[in-house]
Amino acid sequence: MSIDRLGIIIGGSWANGLDIKLNSSFEIEDVIVGSLVTVQGKNSRFFGIISDMVLEASDQSLRSSPPDIDDPFITKIISGTGAFTVIKFSPHLSITNKANSILHGPEPALTIPSHFASAFPASDSDINLIYGKEDEKHLWIGSPLGLEDSRLCIDLERLVQRSTGVFGRSGTGKTFLTRILLAGILQKGVATNLVFDMHNDYGYQGTNEKGNPVKGLKLLFPNRVALFSLDRDSFVRRKVSPDAEVKIGYAEITPDDIRILAETLDLSHLAVEATYRLAQFYGQSNWLREFLSIDPRDELNELAKSLNEFPSTLGSLHRKLERLKRLSFVTETAPEDAVTRILEYLNRGIHVVLEFGKYYDDYLAYIFVTNLLTRRIHEQYVRRVEESMGDQSKEPRPLVITIEEAHRFLTPAIASQTIFGNIAREMRKYKVSLLIVDQRPSGIDEEVLSQLGTRMTYRLDNERDVDAVLAGASGARELRRVLSRLDSRQQALIFGDALPMPTVIRTRDYGTNESYQEFGLKNSVDHQKQMEQDAKDLFGDGE
Amino acid sequence: MSIDIHKLQFNLDALASRLKGQASQRRNRLQQAIRQMGYLNGQVINEKRMRGKFAWPIPTFPSNPTSHYATMLPPQDYSVLATDGSRIDIDDELPVKCALLNISKVLLNYGFTPNAELSSESQFFTEDDQLFFTDTSSTRSQILDKPLLGLKSSVEELVSLAELAENSNSKVPTLALVDGSLILWGQTIQAYPDYISQILINETFLPALDKLKKITSSRPLILAGYISLPASTGVADGLRLSICPYEPVSCDYHCGHLERGKRECDSIGGFLDRDLFSHILQPGQRSDLFVSTSSIVREYYGGHAISFYYLNTGEEIARIEVPKWIAENENLLNLSHSLILDQCEKGLGYPVALMEAHEQAVIPQHDRELFRQMIEETLEKEHVSVYTSQKTRSKKLRSL
Amino acid sequence: MLSEHKSPDLSRIGEVVEATSISFTVHCYELHLGAPLGALIKTDTPEIFAVVNNVSTSSIDPTRRPVARGQDEKDSDSVYLHNPQLKKLLKTEIHALIVGHKDNNNLHQYLPALPPRIHAFAHHCNIDDLRKFTQKLGFLPLLLEGPPTLADEITSAFLRQAALTHPDPDSFLFTSGQEVAQLLGNDLRRLNSLLRRLK
Repeated sequence: MSIDRLGIIIGGSWANGLDIKLNSSFEIEDVIVGSLVTVQGKNSRFFGIISDMVLEASDQSLRSSPPDIDDPFITKIISGTGAFTVIKFSPHLSITNKANSILHGPEPALTIPSHFASAFPASDSDINLIYGKEDEKHLWIGSPLGLEDSRLCIDLERLVQRSTGVFGRSGTGKTFLTRILLAGILQKGVATNLVFDMHNDYGYQGTNEKGNPVKGLKLLFPNRVALFSLDRDSFVRRKVSPDAEVKIGYAEITPDDIRILAETLDLSHLAVEATYRLAQFYGQSNWLREFLSIDPRDELNELAKSLNEFPSTLGSLHRKLERLKRLSFVTETAPEDAVTRILEYLNRGIHVVLEFGKYYDDYLAYIFVTNLLTRRIHEQYVRRVEESMGDQSKEPRPLVITIEEAHRFLTPAIASQTIFGNIAREMRKYKVSLLIVDQRPSGIDEEVLSQLGTRMTYRLDNERDVDAVLAGASGARELRRVLSRLDSRQQALIFGDALPMPTVIRTRDYGTNESYQEFGLKNSVDHQKQMEQDAKDLFGDGE
Repeated sequence: MSIDIHKLQFNLDALASRLKGQASQRRNRLQQAIRQMGYLNGQVINEKRMRGKFAWPIPTFPSNPTSHYATMLPPQDYSVLATDGSRIDIDDELPVKCALLNISKVLLNYGFTPNAELSSESQFFTEDDQLFFTDTSSTRSQILDKPLLGLKSSVEELVSLAELAENSNSKVPTLALVDGSLILWGQTIQAYPDYISQILINETFLPALDKLKKITSSRPLILAGYISLPASTGVADGLRLSICPYEPVSCDYHCGHLERGKRECDSIGGFLDRDLFSHILQPGQRSDLFVSTSSIVREYYGGHAISFYYLNTGEEIARIEVPKWIAENENLLNLSHSLILDQCEKGLGYPVALMEAHEQAVIPQHDRELFRQMIEETLEKEHVSVYTSQKTRSKKLRSL
Repeated sequence: MLSEHKSPDLSRIGEVVEATSISFTVHCYELHLGAPLGALIKTDTPEIFAVVNNVSTSSIDPTRRPVARGQDEKDSDSVYLHNPQLKKLLKTEIHALIVGHKDNNNLHQYLPALPPRIHAFAHHCNIDDLRKFTQKLGFLPLLLEGPPTLADEITSAFLRQAALTHPDPDSFLFTSGQEVAQLLGNDLRRLNSLLRRLK
């Protein structure tokens, strides 16, 4: 099957993109900005995307006196000759004829094809060559524009080596994409997931925009996923039981955990400082218990004097910390250490999803819990990595922490202080990376954004959000054009480490039976074995 | 030195007023002359002429010289034959003598199967026997000088016309036109020795006329000569005779001593025939026949005596000459009238066949130059020196 | 003057009387006929193809001009009937632009090294000739040369005639239109007006 030639190179530059004159046999309306193009040079093949389309005329008088459009004969002849379309194309990758190049696959293009080189729409085999075929390292994530039947893969291994961002306005499909990524990570086993599921989307079951149920990770991989809950009741209502419940004791809460809540609790700077004083005064494990147990009317002034704080500061602090107390999962003494429990699962390679139940809209709860747990889990990872002293077999499995509403954790003001900022900056030094899901990237600290290895973004309307997502990306100008043209749902621009070049994809379906089967609901011998292994992992031998 | 414009203007003004006076005077005299012509009895004139010695040559008059005839419709189908000639005279400046005669032949068929044939043929005179007329009885010879070449041309034109007539065998009325007079220039030819006339007329011209006459006996062939803007005064001079008081007429004797203008007949003289007939003939009409009394005709032409009539073509008064055997045939004579008129109509005032014959015969200037150039080249090749007179040279070079 | 012989070969139009590297003039045997504007003609030995871009009738003798003669005639045919010498004094000439030549049976659509000889016979081309010649369109730049309005008239007349010899005339006109568009790309007004004449 031969592919029709799209056109030939007639000009352009490496810096600003090459010009392809569209073949007159091609309907211009069939050409999509963002779709993939292959150019056959003398010794190399070049790959890139269409970043712009320009209508040109060989004679400018076409503009003032266009031909008689009622005459199809004339307009058909002139369009394609005197009036023609130029497609702008940026070559990102190239592969030469030489053997080692073929072996290594396409690399960033350092040169350009010559005049009159032929351009073709990318074919299936081009897609496979560029992005790799689906295998244990490559996850099929969707199809490129215009090639609905092709499977375009991301390099999952590279994805999890650094932190990842998934962006888009609400309702654009971030959640779906995140499910796919999580399922993929799980299926290919490249890392272990820890998901802080604020809106109960990922764990058991979510809904699509029509309100129909969509399977969560637990339903897809029942033996590989542990569901934790902050709100048991929500589970009971759904007639399902979580694998564990999370309770947080006062003793676990440190001033650092309070600091991150400053904005949410509306704590003044002084109040935040006061917590540190309190901890010093009462001791790390007791300060909260002690502080909350005092009567604000009587003992506050005295305490204030002892700490050399303003009473009003302490008073306001006390009041606001009461809110914490009101959270049902916060108890004076927790029955067990949630962190330890979580780590147990993670160490066995079981993925953990923490559902927030009734706290789905509670930013206070979300930020508080997510930060606290992450901080402590991270601590453990640091310790383990340091103890292993370079022995890879002793190192913990790679961990991917998924957080939503990241702009609340990672504003420029606090990014440097939160654990998430550290994790992002660490770049996997301690085997922990982030998967950030957010719709306001402009709220996120620039430095953190620049640490994201791969960014996946759906359509963004706000200029500042667009700037933020593209910050530090190469070829940002061209990407910006493409980004502004994405369709509202299911089209995402992905660029960064996980892909050899920026690509627009139509994300794969998630929510149909076929899609579930794709993720491994198979009935083969392998599946049986996998199940047995899973059971062993979960429950230990002979339990 | 430039001329005195004022003086000239003064003289011209005087001339103009004199002419004006003269013109009205002339008009009166002309009207008188025409009136006089109306009273003329042709017989009387003829007898008076034969009895006396009249200074001017006049033709034989018809009984009523002012009678005029309307034309009949020409036939649909007819043919016209015409010939004409053009020449390059001997150039005295060249060391060799050569001349060229270009005779054209035109045949036009009208009516059912119209067509035309136009051609021309050149004769070159380079050998002695071509360039000289030799008297067989003595050894005198005459070179083909300019006037003689002109005569030869007229003769050759008639010969070609006769050939044309011979070769066409159509049964429809055929007009054979000659451009000019059928009478070879009397004065010109008389300037040469007799043997010239013998060669030209007897040996060449008359046999052609014979041929034409013979053809006419079997089919309607009408030979005619067309003279445009005729300068003849034969008829006008006949008027003089009519008022001459002397009997017998003897101009030398009675009026030889008188100056011009003082003779009796001068009052009615000074007109051309065409002046008279322009007031007598309506467009399309012809006059009655007059017969030429030229000495050449009398001496040589024999049965080919030439008659003539005047014809108002609408554009001019032309003089038409016909041989006796046409003049005497009423049908053919009438055909000459109507066919010539038709030709004039088609030719926008002049017989179209003669016009085409002329065009075919004409030698364009660059052909003349080419003729001369080729001769010079031939001579140079044979190493014969060619030099021209200084006058020609200076004309050619036009230096400052 | 030409004789009145009927030419033995009916496709013969006349003889070349002037020739240059880019064009030639044919004196036609028949007055007022010759070949129509935009027609493809060829000379023999060597076979040189040309497209008629002017047909003129005038007096053979340049110093004589025709004058109106038919005031009293009922129609112009009668003028000729009643003045038989006219046909002998007029000539019809056609001027044609050279667009190709054959050399050892290979057809080339560029100018020959030498123009046709004087007195070479000129022939009409038949449907087959025209179709074969227009399989390729390399001659178009030669036809489009010269003052644009005339060149466009001739080119479109030629292409219209050629289209009729092809099995799919519309497709031929479309392809030729595209070729012309390539050549006239920088003058779209001219292209537009030429394309309009192609239908």
